[in-house]
Amino acid sequence: MIKYHPSKQLMQKHVAGELPVGLSVAIAAHIELCGACKLELDALESKQAEAAFTNSGSYSEEAAESSTEEDLAFEAMMNDITQLDMSSEMVPRVPQMFDYQDKSVQLPRAIAALKLGSFINAGKVSRARFELDEGPLRSSLLHIKPGGEIPEHTHTGFELTLLLDGSFEDESGSYVPGDFIMLDGRHNHTPKTEEGCLCFTLVDSALHFNKGLSKLLNPIGNLIY
Amino acid sequence: MVSLEQSSDCRTIKGKNVGMQETPSEQLTAALVNVANNADKKAYAYLFSYFAPKIKRFGIKQFGSEAMAMELVQDTMTSVWRKAKLYHQDKGAATTWVYTIMRNASFDALRKVKSNKEDNLSEEIWPLFHDEQVCEKSFKDHLQTNQLKEKIKSLPAAQRDVVVGVYFEDMTQEQLAQHLGIPVGTVKSRLRLALKKLKVELGEQHD
Repeated sequence: MIKYHPSKQLMQKHVAGELPVGLSVAIAAHIELCGACKLELDALESKQAEAAFTNSGSYSEEAAESSTEEDLAFEAMMNDITQLDMSSEMVPRVPQMFDYQDKSVQLPRAIAALKLGSFINAGKVSRARFELDEGPLRSSLLHIKPGGEIPEHTHTGFELTLLLDGSFEDESGSYVPGDFIMLDGRHNHTPKTEEGCLCFTLVDSALHFNKGLSKLLNPIGNLIY
Repeated sequence: MVSLEQSSDCRTIKGKNVGMQETPSEQLTAALVNVANNADKKAYAYLFSYFAPKIKRFGIKQFGSEAMAMELVQDTMTSVWRKAKLYHQDKGAATTWVYTIMRNASFDALRKVKSNKEDNLSEEIWPLFHDEQVCEKSFKDHLQTNQLKEKIKSLPAAQRDVVVGVYFEDMTQEQLAQHLGIPVGTVKSRLRLALKKLKVELGEQHD
């Protein structure tokens, strides 16, 4: 069962459309796998809609002083719009599969929509970046072969892992597909996987590897995440 | 005996103390259903007059720019019209539906500003329906397309360039402004003039 979910605060910002794309993609992918969070999303959307569109809401206070100029602009706009065809229709969506380690996995819709760069391999770990161009925020697809492990590290910013397939463990326990694992500078961890796994990851700055020889591996942080 | 069937008569709610309501939810939802089923322009005008000023103020808060706020109104209200048929009452109130459309348009606009990307990811992040996607059909009527192309050719050159750039070469108004070396405002006004002219010409022939 999925044990780790996005925080209430993250969900609210997600619903308001205020998060960076990588983060909203991860939350959307989690929601696709988690019925409880889907219900919460629906409830939050209707609540925020209500708040935005009430007659006495924060976006209405100046409504009384609309100018003639604005009225004219709105009228022209409305007339233009109603000349358009109402021609949208729905087509079935073909799920997108991703192949790794002899397996074929269906990717969540929001992740499947992103452009993926090519994979770079470092031992048992393979990583490809999503081309989102969000500055210090880096979104990646990561897969680790059975028995693989990432050296102990902490994060100066945050690291988000959304497990998509397989399983992995760290000092806090084991994770199943759909788990949304948000770590920040207070956490150290050494993730390892017995059966192999596929993850969506998002980090907001370089990692610090803090143990013995792994310190030498510091550049690997930039490579892996 | 208690009937398990839903009441088919919801009209009893309508007409009571309408002016006092904080949010006239039932009226808005009824109007949206009317737009969906009958392409009712009056119902749409009601939705427009309710939502457009609120969307504009949301946009100003979001972008700090009146021009971008107006574009948000345009994008949101265009989708409300064009996608109205996809709305179902059991999917939630009209306010929620319009809010999600506005949020998506705003999200895509912010992404364009921040990363200069026009990948319109919002529809994938907040899909309207889970297993389906919206299919945007362009003109399928070839006769009408040809007729339209003829009319476009007969526009004054300045207006023609703008129409061709935006509708046939998929340039944004900003790109086009840069390309032609004119302000964005001029692109917009030329486009509006051109569309007005085209509408009059095509409309006359359809009547």
